[in-house]
Amino acid sequence: MAQVHSTQAHSHMHDFEGHVEAVEADLEYWRTKRLEPRLIQLHRRGVLTFYYLVRTAAARPVVSMTAVAQDTEARIRALEDGLDDYIRGIGLVSLDGPGYPSVIEDTRKERGDYDDFFRIAKPSHDGTLEERITRLEHQLGEYQYLLDVFTRALLDKGVLTMEAIEQQRAFLTGRGAWHGARIVARAWVDPVFKQALLTKGREAVRELNIPPGRLGKLGVAENTPTLHNIVVCTLCSCYPHDLLGDPPWWYRDDSYKARIVRDARGMLAERFNLRLPDHVEVRVHDSTSDVRWMVLPCRPAGTDGWSEEQLARLVTIESLVGTAPAVEPAALPQGGR
Amino acid sequence: MPPSQPMHRFRVGDPVQVERANPLGNPRTPRYIRGKNGVVTVLHGSIVNPIDHHGVYPPLCSVLFRVRDVFGGSSDDTLSIDLHEDWLKPASPSR
Repeated sequence: MAQVHSTQAHSHMHDFEGHVEAVEADLEYWRTKRLEPRLIQLHRRGVLTFYYLVRTAAARPVVSMTAVAQDTEARIRALEDGLDDYIRGIGLVSLDGPGYPSVIEDTRKERGDYDDFFRIAKPSHDGTLEERITRLEHQLGEYQYLLDVFTRALLDKGVLTMEAIEQQRAFLTGRGAWHGARIVARAWVDPVFKQALLTKGREAVRELNIPPGRLGKLGVAENTPTLHNIVVCTLCSCYPHDLLGDPPWWYRDDSYKARIVRDARGMLAERFNLRLPDHVEVRVHDSTSDVRWMVLPCRPAGTDGWSEEQLARLVTIESLVGTAPAVEPAALPQGGR
Repeated sequence: MPPSQPMHRFRVGDPVQVERANPLGNPRTPRYIRGKNGVVTVLHGSIVNPIDHHGVYPPLCSVLFRVRDVFGGSSDDTLSIDLHEDWLKPASPSR
């Protein structure tokens, strides 16, 4: 979830509401789109039934949360950490056993990507900041408990093995936005590579010793002084994540999807603080899973003679989606070069 | 993964209109674009993508739309949407 090079990791939080809203949206996305549809899917197929889950739960008492911090900022940070754990945990069990390979298309259908009828309801997020934080603490505890029981049950039943989970852990930590940054940096310095990237997509990344992945075709939308590209997937949340790691959390958020196609220029200005001049065309790419798009941002001025390694530090996950330009050299932290 | 040899019905530059109803049951076309007119900009061929879906869908095109033709207003900005050819029919050039 973090930016490639966050310069704010240890600074103070200024916008409590914004942080809380982000946790609410992300938590509900992972619960309603990634974890619970999978429970239902496995139950429906008889791979792991609700009855087995209940029996597993009976043998695993609820562990009450450790002492909750008093200070608002500390509580929000604890929520963000808890959310990260929850997301990682879901990633670890999002594996198919050999006996029941699933196809992503079925998963999308069952979680309601194509039909609102199948969507799992989300709770409302009203109330004061204090009420919202308290509610999130309670929800996170419940959601995490279900995930723990589910994970234990998958292992007990032999649907997954510890070995498979450890392999998945290694896979998930090994990929990341750094790949995207290296791809962009190479394209900035090497016109032959750039041409191969634009025409052949993921085949081109092998020369960087990056595994090309297998999720459809990689589309590369090149920014120019008169064209600014943005990527979205309004039907689900397709992204070349096998190659680039996770997109920013809001990439999956309905408020992003709904507005970016209608009013990209306004949304860039208001939500992402990116104001583009009138002579720059804004082009939004709404993808299918067959072609997954990344943006090739413009190389910032003042970077002549920089090495690829240095240049890669200018590339953020936001710039790969197109809601931000590459970082200006002056904005790098001291000693960033 | 090289796209299989394209059997495209359309060429780059062709004006097209998105069907309103889906003839084959493929849901991968956003609702907001149905019935709208655009221009083919990229031919992707038939992409074999068994991780994501069962069958091989018809050839895929990137189609460029003007935001104002889709949502109204006066914007000069654009939308590039990847659409399978069974969703597309020939259109007369816009204006």
